[in-house]
Amino acid sequence: MAAIIETSGLTRSYGDICALKPLDLCVPEGEWLTVMGHSGSGKSTLLNLLGGLDRPTGGSIQVRGTDLASLSEDGLARFRRDCVGIIFQQHHLIPYLTALENVMMSQYFHSVPDEAEARHALERVGLGHRLKNRPGELSGGEQQRVCIARAIINSPRLLLGDEPTGNLDHKSTTMVMELLRELRDEDRFSIVMVTHNQEVAAWGDRTIHMDDGCLVREERIKAC
Amino acid sequence: MTALKVIPQLLCWAVLVPVMSRSLTGMATAVTAAAGFVVGVAGENLLLAYVGGELPFRPLRGVCGVIFLLLWGASVWALYRRGSKGSDAEAVSSPGPLAAGLAASATGVLAGALTLCRLAPLDGGAVRLVPYLSLACAGAVLALAATFPARYLPERLAPRGIPLLALVVSALMVMACSVQRLDIFSPLSMEVMKFIHDFVHQFFESMLIPDHPFFRSDVWGYIGLLFSDKVGLWGGLALWYLPVLFIALALRLERLPSVAHIRQGAARRKLLASFIHERRLRLVAPLFALVLLTGAAYQSRFPATEYWDPKPVEVTATPAGQIVIPKKGEMDLEDGKLHKFSYSQGGRQARFFVMLTPAGQLVTTLDACAICQPEGYGQAGNAVICYYCKTLIPLETVGKPGGCNPVPVPCSVKGDAVVIDAMTLLNTWESTVQVTAHGKGMGK
Ligand SMILES: Nc1ncnc2c1ncn2[C@@H]1O[C@H](COP(=O)(O)OP(=O)(O)OP(=O)(O)O)[C@@H](O)[C@H]1O
Ligand SMILES: [Mg+2]
Repeated sequence: MAAIIETSGLTRSYGDICALKPLDLCVPEGEWLTVMGHSGSGKSTLLNLLGGLDRPTGGSIQVRGTDLASLSEDGLARFRRDCVGIIFQQHHLIPYLTALENVMMSQYFHSVPDEAEARHALERVGLGHRLKNRPGELSGGEQQRVCIARAIINSPRLLLGDEPTGNLDHKSTTMVMELLRELRDEDRFSIVMVTHNQEVAAWGDRTIHMDDGCLVREERIKAC
Repeated sequence: MTALKVIPQLLCWAVLVPVMSRSLTGMATAVTAAAGFVVGVAGENLLLAYVGGELPFRPLRGVCGVIFLLLWGASVWALYRRGSKGSDAEAVSSPGPLAAGLAASATGVLAGALTLCRLAPLDGGAVRLVPYLSLACAGAVLALAATFPARYLPERLAPRGIPLLALVVSALMVMACSVQRLDIFSPLSMEVMKFIHDFVHQFFESMLIPDHPFFRSDVWGYIGLLFSDKVGLWGGLALWYLPVLFIALALRLERLPSVAHIRQGAARRKLLASFIHERRLRLVAPLFALVLLTGAAYQSRFPATEYWDPKPVEVTATPAGQIVIPKKGEMDLEDGKLHKFSYSQGGRQARFFVMLTPAGQLVTTLDACAICQPEGYGQAGNAVICYYCKTLIPLETVGKPGGCNPVPVPCSVKGDAVVIDAMTLLNTWESTVQVTAHGKGMGK
């Protein structure tokens, strides 16, 4: 299967701190990869590089055949807009917009807003009845589901999650994970997700463990 | 120095050719346009040399009027046909090479002819050889050089069909309106004013509006607005801008191609967004045309030509009620220039001027005509110009009544002085000029 992500010798250092040491990673199209590791081991750094939020200091990184290091700022913005969806632990929803408007905002930055489609996306994540509520009026799990709707609305080929369930209890975590699996099975996008939670990692196809900026161990959970 | 006068024209030309060559057939368009420009300049000179007379201002102004009407027609058509089948405002988007060549060369001829008129001396006479040769060269070189920037003009910004026509026509309007005798904006606003004037007049006449005092004071206030000197300007501006606004509207209202066949939401929205973006880009041409038209109207309102316009000299009457102005006093009344005076008595006031006509006769006229607001006259070469309607009145006809001619006042030459009856002067002023002032809602 074609690789959606291919990195070779990928590094990122902040001054003397080497947050990511030369890393070779290949993620095939459609795979769900989980990244685990101690705090400060460089997981978020890797995710930011994959999402085009940051630039590497060395090595190469290719997502869907595009060399991210060679893209201009505009090119990177276009890449983020068209190819990736990102979910954070802190959901970063706009507090004064409703759930529906938050999703439509993402459509607006991508192309043009389409209310029916945004509504459908929220229905898919089980929030058809909370369209007009603001983030403050939603529970943590619901907010995270709005984020998922927002992340998938532009049909990205790659979904990145930085501890998306970090704030959620067991029940909500299971709900969000089930939802992600369903969506992935329907839309066939790839997922790279950072987590500290062993249970969450079990939902993925493969887990990599990082320590001090290096990939130290890899385990396959399901056959690809 | 004279060369500076044609800079706006040549600038317009330098913008027009790359756009045309990008939208039509490229280099070939630029060459035909360049050839057209040279033909326009040379043809006009040959005409002048063999037929004589002066530059063909009237026919040229006629042509300008016709192409402006053409733009009107095209804009209405575009608005009418919009969205009936895809992008219809651009239905004529790719004319054949012959049509493109014809259009380019016709534009060139007209541009050349209009630009040469700007060089023509105001007091008539032919343009000298050197300026005219250098103008022809400049036009041709600019047109050919324009093919280089044309390559960098993004394809999506190159207007087609009617928007291109709007751009061409408005550029030609800039070229025309900077020449007093080619200007069509001022006559347009003048016509609008006359039309509204007549219409309101006839309307009230036919309605037999009762002369009730209450009714009059209220309603006349509003009717006064219709007679104000701004109504012509605003009406003229409306007629001036509307065709291009129609075209912009037609483009804006154009139905977008259907994207319903694309299943995936994101891809469908992406395509839709690109269509919207393209439609927005197409508005650039009409917007630019609006800027050009504004430039043309501005040139027409505030012509760059400088007029001989002396400050009126206060005069007084003798106890017998006569105004006596010596022929060779502080100024020489017989130097062929216009000399302005003003006279006031007991709150009544009149402005007039004295000048020697080419026929050798000293005439006295009001500094106002019977139709326009009394903004006065200036002298430019062998004509005086009414500042209000920008009509040029040949010196030969000054002193004769009618039209926008300054209203004649009887005078007599006694010895070496011009004598005018003060009462006649004031009465003439009040019986002609104040009539319009009444309409303005200030009188009565
Ligand atoms: N902008 C920055 N400037 C300087 N150092 C940074 C910056 N961002 C990250 N680092 C450093 O890089 C290393 C890796 O950070 P990173 O955020 O990737 O860790 P992490 O694995 O995501 O940790 P956590 O699980 O706590 O989120 C850390 O030592 C951190 O201090
Ligand atoms: Mg982190």
